[in-house]
Amino acid sequence: MSNYIVLVKQVPDVSQITDNAFNPETGTLIRTRLASVINELDAQALAAANYMNQLCGERGKIVSLTMGPPMAAEVLRYSLARCADSAVLLTDRALGGADTCATANPLAFAIRKIVKDILGGSSDYFIVSGMQSVDGDTAQVPAQIAEELDVPCIAYVTDIKYDGERFEFSRIISGGNQWVASRSVPAVITVAKYEYPLFATFAGERGANRFELIQWGTDDIKAEYTGIEGSKTRVIRVFPPPGTTRKCKEITDARKIAGIIADCLDESQKKDEKAAGDGNGYVLPGARENIFDRSFEGTHKESEDYKILTGIIEKLGIKSLADITDDVKEKILSKAGEHFHKNALEDMLEGFKTTEPAYNGEVWVAVEHDGNKIHPATFELIGKARDLAGSLKTKVGAVVAGGKPEGFGQELISAGADTVYAVEHPMLETFDPKAYRKAISETIEKYWPQIVLFAATSMGRMLAPMIAYRLRCGLTADCTGLEIKDSSRKGQVGILMQTRPALGGNVMATICTKDSKSQMATARPGVMKRLEPDKKRKGEIIKNKVQLNQTDLSLDIIKTEKATGKINLDSDIVVSGGKGMQSRDNYEKLLSKLVTAIADKFDVSIERGASRAAVEQGFVERIHQVGQTGTSISPKIYIALGISGAIQHLIGVANSETIIAVNSDPAAPIFKHCDYYINGTVEDVVPELVEAIAGINKKD
Amino acid sequence: MSQNELNKTSVLIVGAGPAGLAAAITLKNKQPEAEICVIDKAAEAGNHNLSGAILEPDCLSTLLDTINKDWKESEQAQDVLAYKVTKDNLLFLASKNFHFSIAFSIKIAKKFNLNFGQMSYEGNYIVSISKLTKWLCQTAKEMGIEVIHGFAAEDIIYDAENGVATGVKLVDQGLDKEGNKQPNYTEGEIINADMIILAEGCDGLLTEKFIEKAGLVRQANQLYSVGVKEVIRVSDAQFKKFTAGRVVHAMGYPIWTPVLGPGMFGGGVLMPVSENHIWVGMIVGLDWKYCDFSPQDALTNFKNQRFVRKFIEGGTIVEAGAKMIPEGGYYALPRNPATSGIGKGNVLILGDGAGFVNMLKIKGLHNAIKSGIAAGRAIAECENNPAATVSKYTELLNTLGVMREMKDAAKFRQTVAKLGPLIGMPISVFGDKLPLFKVEKDYLVMTSKKYKYKPGKSYDKDTFTALAATEHREEQPSHLTIINRNTCAQECREKYDSPCITFCPAGVYEMIAGQVKPANPSNCLHCKTCQRKCPLDNIRWTVPEGGGGPRYKTV
Repeated sequence: MSNYIVLVKQVPDVSQITDNAFNPETGTLIRTRLASVINELDAQALAAANYMNQLCGERGKIVSLTMGPPMAAEVLRYSLARCADSAVLLTDRALGGADTCATANPLAFAIRKIVKDILGGSSDYFIVSGMQSVDGDTAQVPAQIAEELDVPCIAYVTDIKYDGERFEFSRIISGGNQWVASRSVPAVITVAKYEYPLFATFAGERGANRFELIQWGTDDIKAEYTGIEGSKTRVIRVFPPPGTTRKCKEITDARKIAGIIADCLDESQKKDEKAAGDGNGYVLPGARENIFDRSFEGTHKESEDYKILTGIIEKLGIKSLADITDDVKEKILSKAGEHFHKNALEDMLEGFKTTEPAYNGEVWVAVEHDGNKIHPATFELIGKARDLAGSLKTKVGAVVAGGKPEGFGQELISAGADTVYAVEHPMLETFDPKAYRKAISETIEKYWPQIVLFAATSMGRMLAPMIAYRLRCGLTADCTGLEIKDSSRKGQVGILMQTRPALGGNVMATICTKDSKSQMATARPGVMKRLEPDKKRKGEIIKNKVQLNQTDLSLDIIKTEKATGKINLDSDIVVSGGKGMQSRDNYEKLLSKLVTAIADKFDVSIERGASRAAVEQGFVERIHQVGQTGTSISPKIYIALGISGAIQHLIGVANSETIIAVNSDPAAPIFKHCDYYINGTVEDVVPELVEAIAGINKKD
Repeated sequence: MSQNELNKTSVLIVGAGPAGLAAAITLKNKQPEAEICVIDKAAEAGNHNLSGAILEPDCLSTLLDTINKDWKESEQAQDVLAYKVTKDNLLFLASKNFHFSIAFSIKIAKKFNLNFGQMSYEGNYIVSISKLTKWLCQTAKEMGIEVIHGFAAEDIIYDAENGVATGVKLVDQGLDKEGNKQPNYTEGEIINADMIILAEGCDGLLTEKFIEKAGLVRQANQLYSVGVKEVIRVSDAQFKKFTAGRVVHAMGYPIWTPVLGPGMFGGGVLMPVSENHIWVGMIVGLDWKYCDFSPQDALTNFKNQRFVRKFIEGGTIVEAGAKMIPEGGYYALPRNPATSGIGKGNVLILGDGAGFVNMLKIKGLHNAIKSGIAAGRAIAECENNPAATVSKYTELLNTLGVMREMKDAAKFRQTVAKLGPLIGMPISVFGDKLPLFKVEKDYLVMTSKKYKYKPGKSYDKDTFTALAATEHREEQPSHLTIINRNTCAQECREKYDSPCITFCPAGVYEMIAGQVKPANPSNCLHCKTCQRKCPLDNIRWTVPEGGGGPRYKTV
């Protein structure tokens, strides 16, 4: 009989974002305009915990735990109305403004207290949570709790079995899934998908309303890291994501679309290459021609202020900082007018004194591989690391742990690494989060690079938070932008500015590391661009040792299943059918023709999608559903066939690079939200399109 | 507390709208120890309450004064009663471009104490019923009333022997589209109660079932209207021009123009909702005869009318919704033929569910609240005597003035339906002296005629439902049923060209491979127009899993 501590979080309901939730002037999201709900994956985690309890036969206790403002009690009542036996609310002003580290830490301390106070000290329990929350979207907290408690972490679980003695979990890994069991309990389980969230009963709901919640504050749990103080990252700025502008061009000849598809893929390629580029041309302040040049500030406002200040200083003919006397300051202030005042000026002048970078050391990439092959995301990160290291005038390192990692050395050097740090041990043959995080973090501790980048893959998103937490370093998840900038007024230059989407992509945030020896980030695969491999490139391979024994393994791997025939809506091209397909036969026939034609001609991944209506009509299984209530996608090309473009669908495909629509209704809303459209029936247009694609000269 | 105890309550109120909550608040105030449960199918308070209503504030005083005499000072009350009507326009729209005021005739009527003098609203408040409900719900909860959202009731349970209602059955949750049990299947519980108050709103599922089962009789057919509306964010200049505190009611174009038609009952409304936000609504009697008509067509035309357009042009629609209004009036109230009581045994019927809408004022909110007050008082006064409760309730409806008002407006809607607005309106001054014209049920009035002002562009119903934030779990049995598919495919299609596809404000119905289907039940706004307007009475609306449906906030 196991017990379950379920972590639940109250989040803004991002599925209900309407136009009124945004400030019409600034375009920023107004958080208070959104309803608060339980994080969907946490609701699934609760159901999964209940399912485990049922599988096991003998019922243990289910305790739900949340940290948040007093109103977060609602998600505890949600749990109590369904299956929880008890509920703990961790609430305290001192806990507010926390990043993942300062969230995981108090939660871990609260878990210790729950075990002692509610579970009678039993160590037979699982900590179950959703893999990530829709607002933070980092997936860091559960892994960091596992690290704090020093227990195994099984992330991205999609299925659970019980063999009479222990639980087996199917979890998502790169390119497939894997059945594993925890070598010990307690353990942290994060749920990526459990299809059947529980319904409340009337009696349960009434009981939940009468239940007296257990409420703890910081004094009760005595956590180490709390609130803003205990956080290892800080948010520099929040801004709306760049709006997409659609071309809305009508195409009358279906055959032209074939050429457009080819062009789009080409352009997309070029755009990626440009994104990889040479960075922002950052130069460390010490190396700039003008000692008053501060044109690489992290925020627009600071850049502008410095620009004005530098301009005034130049006009006054001042050549060195020592020349700025109180008189001069008065003059500057009178010229600056409304732009900045005395205190700001003092800060900025003080900022000129900082010329040395805030961090030292190399820029590292943590290498992901499956024993045979390096994950493509690693090469992308090395490309980015080269760019960052160039700005900082330092080297690129790649840290690789494994059974025989040296073999990867030259490939990593060809991709742009200067030094490869190889950690070799037979127990690193297969990926075990506990052993890997030990191997990599010990190597980091030995050399202290100033930046460590991880791929935001299922492996990287688990390993990075564990390592960052272990080394007490800040970590930003799923970055889409990484740049070296200054924060002169805060006395820091040459720091890593990490930009990532949040709140379901509705806002962007730029984040900096603080109180850390190294700056760590994960970056989404496909965002950064790899460099052309240079086989002649020279570098150094340094071998490192790590002491590992049986207790450093956390998981038993039972079976690994490679994905075959899995739906991959992350593909380069998604072709969706809607109600306009008329029937299941039509959907099947037309889509498979088009998909095969495209796949034959272009070297891209391609998947079939569907609108909700098409799924409702039984044209295709729900797993293909694209849109707000299905899967939100961001392919290079989205082709919508016979889809009118309900707003829910459009929101779900808004991040596509190019949208091509075919519809027989000239007033179909999708025509206003696409790049190219053909007004015609799918039965007429698709065959022409297939023919035209087949006629394109194959690209190599 | 045991499971059994948790499934039992002394008083069960179905529907946490203004009527149900007023009943709960009144009873709890009189009997603090009373065990009262209010259930509602919406996910949150106010989500299923739509009306940009004009409220006579007296009923709130009656309801709240004894609980907290300073209720008007509370922040929420101030927010709900933000706009007092300061400017009251009654217009006749002659066409797309011309309008004239008929306010003077109302003023004269008021002076001579004629019935339709009631169409004057100065001194009333403009309220969002959704916000009002949210506030009343919080008040109720603070008093210790259990208001539980997300639970839908599908039936009333009766004692097999004496036929007395013993409770309600909740909807099963966790069935898939075909009705198979999913792993998270949760059978709908039975909630037992001594007293059941039906406050479901217009065309309530349990209410209608109860009326039939208990043999309650409506002397005249219940008639309905459907209201569709949008909240539009306008510019500072437009809002200033409109002026806060102004209410515009408009008759005529685009639903009624003299001689050549169209001839429909209803009108358009413009009101402020909050800073820079204006409600634009269109209410149309369900007895329209144009098979290609959609209420949103009328809304589109209304919005494009010259007078209206200047206030909203270029604005952004931020919320939308649709709802039915019961308009049959006094003679359509469901009564026990033996006692004239509105209810029977231990079951009372409140608010829009009973049909307490005063058609002269086109307002039912104050009466809904008053019916709640009456129910609360009646239960408190007739403890343990259900039979007496119904009579007491019906008597208190008189005392509180609900019945007098209903009687004054008793024949208005029927008179206009029979004689048309041109003759019907003026003649209605004779009030109760007129004969009660027999008017057919709305759905029987349908022809193959076409709506004269059909806009060129079809209304974007997908965006409309998105702005109503409606959502249902998609993998559940359809809560809309077509009784006989052949009727749709043959008779209806031939005669009327499948009008449900056009008139459903949420676009739930579609023609797929030659069959009319409720193709998008998850878009449903719970307005039930389909059930009352299908020309062959071939559609039934039942309640989906609790928590589904629109999520109105201000509309």
